[in-house]
Amino acid sequence: MADRRGQRQRPMITKNYSSSSSTKSHKPLNPNSNTRIAHANKSATVNSGNEDNIDEHQDIPNLVGTCPFMCPVEERARRERLRDLAVFERLHGNPAKTSSTLAVKKFCRTISANNVQASDVRPVSVLEDTLNYVLNLLKSDCRFEVVHDFIFDRTRSIRQDLTMQNVTNDQAIHIYERMIKFHILSHHKLPKCGSPDTASICHLNMEQLTKALTSLFSLYEANRAPDSIYKDESEFHSYYVLLHLCSDNQSESLSLWFRRVPFVIMKSKEMCFARRILRFFRLGNYKQLIYTTEAEASYLQYCIIEPYISEIRALALSCVNYGGYKLQPYPLAHLSKLLMMQESDLESLCVDCGLQMSSDGTGKVLLSTKLTSTCNPKRGYQKYCEVVSERLERLAAEVSEL
Amino acid sequence: MGYDAVLPLRLTKQLLILGQIYSGAAATMAAYMSMGEAHRRITEYLNRFSDAVSSQDGKSLSRLLSITSDSSSLQFLADALNTFQDANRIIRQSESSQYADILVPVFRALQSYRLRNLVESYLAFEKAANAFVQEFRNWESAWALEALCVIAYEIRILAEQADKELASIGKSPEKLKGAGSFLMKVFGVLAGKGPKRVGALYVTCQLFKIYFKLGTVHLCRSVIRSIETARIFDFEEFPARDKVTYMYYTGRLEVYNENFPAADHKLSYALTHCSPLKEANIRMILKYLIPVKLSIGILPRNSLLDKFNLTEYNNVVLALKRGDLRLLRHALEEHEDRFLRSGVYLVLEKLELQVYQRLIKKIYIIQKQKDPNKAHQIKLEVIVKALKWLEMDMDVDEVECIVSILIYKNLMKGYFAHKSKVVVLSKQDPFPKLNGKPVTS
Repeated sequence: MADRRGQRQRPMITKNYSSSSSTKSHKPLNPNSNTRIAHANKSATVNSGNEDNIDEHQDIPNLVGTCPFMCPVEERARRERLRDLAVFERLHGNPAKTSSTLAVKKFCRTISANNVQASDVRPVSVLEDTLNYVLNLLKSDCRFEVVHDFIFDRTRSIRQDLTMQNVTNDQAIHIYERMIKFHILSHHKLPKCGSPDTASICHLNMEQLTKALTSLFSLYEANRAPDSIYKDESEFHSYYVLLHLCSDNQSESLSLWFRRVPFVIMKSKEMCFARRILRFFRLGNYKQLIYTTEAEASYLQYCIIEPYISEIRALALSCVNYGGYKLQPYPLAHLSKLLMMQESDLESLCVDCGLQMSSDGTGKVLLSTKLTSTCNPKRGYQKYCEVVSERLERLAAEVSEL
Repeated sequence: MGYDAVLPLRLTKQLLILGQIYSGAAATMAAYMSMGEAHRRITEYLNRFSDAVSSQDGKSLSRLLSITSDSSSLQFLADALNTFQDANRIIRQSESSQYADILVPVFRALQSYRLRNLVESYLAFEKAANAFVQEFRNWESAWALEALCVIAYEIRILAEQADKELASIGKSPEKLKGAGSFLMKVFGVLAGKGPKRVGALYVTCQLFKIYFKLGTVHLCRSVIRSIETARIFDFEEFPARDKVTYMYYTGRLEVYNENFPAADHKLSYALTHCSPLKEANIRMILKYLIPVKLSIGILPRNSLLDKFNLTEYNNVVLALKRGDLRLLRHALEEHEDRFLRSGVYLVLEKLELQVYQRLIKKIYIIQKQKDPNKAHQIKLEVIVKALKWLEMDMDVDEVECIVSILIYKNLMKGYFAHKSKVVVLSKQDPFPKLNGKPVTS
């Protein structure tokens, strides 16, 4: 495999959108399929069955949207009539009135490219502006689930418009990158919202996250230049690794996935970090996993790792419980520092894991009873995830622009 | 003139290319041939074809279809076709006219292949292959199975080459994927009760090779299910060579999913049933079997690694023997690209725990020599120091963490005392061997 050294990172070239912007000849995607582009195919095409035409690819002209607004005029009028307006779209709170600066096109499940008007589809520049507007709502004071719900749907519609126009250039890449960051942020914040539907909302969010990520990787591949990678390509690959820390037999194993990743990305700083975290997780090295995350993770990387932290902390407790000397119970003060959590939280975790504690002269201690019951709070159990860290707090505060 | 609809557009191009060749640049391509000789060669091929079919000679038929073998007779035939240009007329007038649907595209595939138009060659061959399958269905016995297998092989190879050509001109490579679809159809044809079913495993292996190359390995699942659960198939009936290939690929899948006992079983089967003369194949099997064996605590001899040129594992094995963590990490880094590409990197990385176990065992042995009574107590600081000698910077907390993991996963028997910063090993069997089982997860 050619070793692509010389990581000349390409700046984000925002090309003006035109239908000939992609130099590769692409056949239009089947818009009925979801936005997943077959990863193995290395490009955004499907087999059109045009096998008799070899050199002369019938360049079916791509649909070019002409809708200048965030929401097509017809849809806006329809939804006003039906009073189907989200909170953010209502003019002065009126559930039956919106405006061109507030309405945003909804995701539509039943669309097919065959009977779609160009006037209903937004061109890439409008999609970029729409994305800006929609992501800006993260700054609003609304409850997060409400904001998430709106952005979730409207960004899905943006992806739909991109797919219908078969946009696969740098602009598409940048749009996907920002949307994925949103999903990661939601992945982090949703479980803390405490709504009764959290589990299913999180599941749907994760579904879109992985679909978008897979599409992004196809876009990277389709735009692959010989000696450079995109500025954030390594970071997004690291997200993939961290999302798959725990191997399940449903998704493709990481070993298989690594085979396809360009070597220069595998050696990048972000991927090396993710691979180390993976190693720590697989070996059960709870100390280093938490420590390294605290010291080196970017905020979004942390958001992905955080749910695994409670799992590894439970493992730590199991190990201490199983292998600790019963006449020298483990001081919780030290353990909480090691696991980077508040001592009171550690106590609660011990209780939830069914472990016994007591007090000695200096403080609370964990008793080792050599029971091998694996204490494993469900991964969705957010209570014991946070890592006590100034650095991470600072990063969280700095997160503004997605 | 009887040309196929596609050819008129190509004629100019082909003549231009032939002109280039004749004007003497590349030495080895078409030799000059008279029209008479060309006619003779074409007729000869058609006769051999009809003879093969009428006498149900599968082997001869196979040879006539091995486009990528670049045999001299096929090369001459391709030159003849390029010279004569109206082979279709000859086909129609020959005894093989009923097989025109196969022969016309085969000729086109040969011509294109000779001119190195790989995409065109693939497309033509795919047409021929489809037509062949139709005929194959009608032939009752399995006499043409070998020819069908050759077609399966050829279509994969041609598709790979076609995709390379597509990629080199900036188009999307999708022919191999198409070949996969075709082979699934062939599999369906063979998946019946008759004698033709013994060919199904060969086609399965071709599919494996395609899916592995494309990275769509998850598609293997459905064929595997058919082979292993369908009642029409009896695994033992398949040819030995196909069984070895099958176990090799399914064994590799188990490695990727880290099911080590299953991987061990399948790859070992492949190894023991592989002909000892096929050293390249043995090497391929060992490449995956060795990491599996290491994961269950079985080390290969250096002589094995040397014999089959698997020296990338030398340092890994040595690190396990010595308890040398630095050496393991170094070995992984040195051959990182290779291990990542074959997909065993993560498996090897996980051997770290066994390396730690070995290191601590060595400390134990040294202590035993100094003072047998106190040997079973190891200060964590001593382990820290040993790791420092190996240029591994770990503090006491991390060492305690590792020690607790080793105990938890039954790589060490004993307990650790936090306050005294000491690990106390069990007097009996403090370092249990893996005994063919992987480390507990």
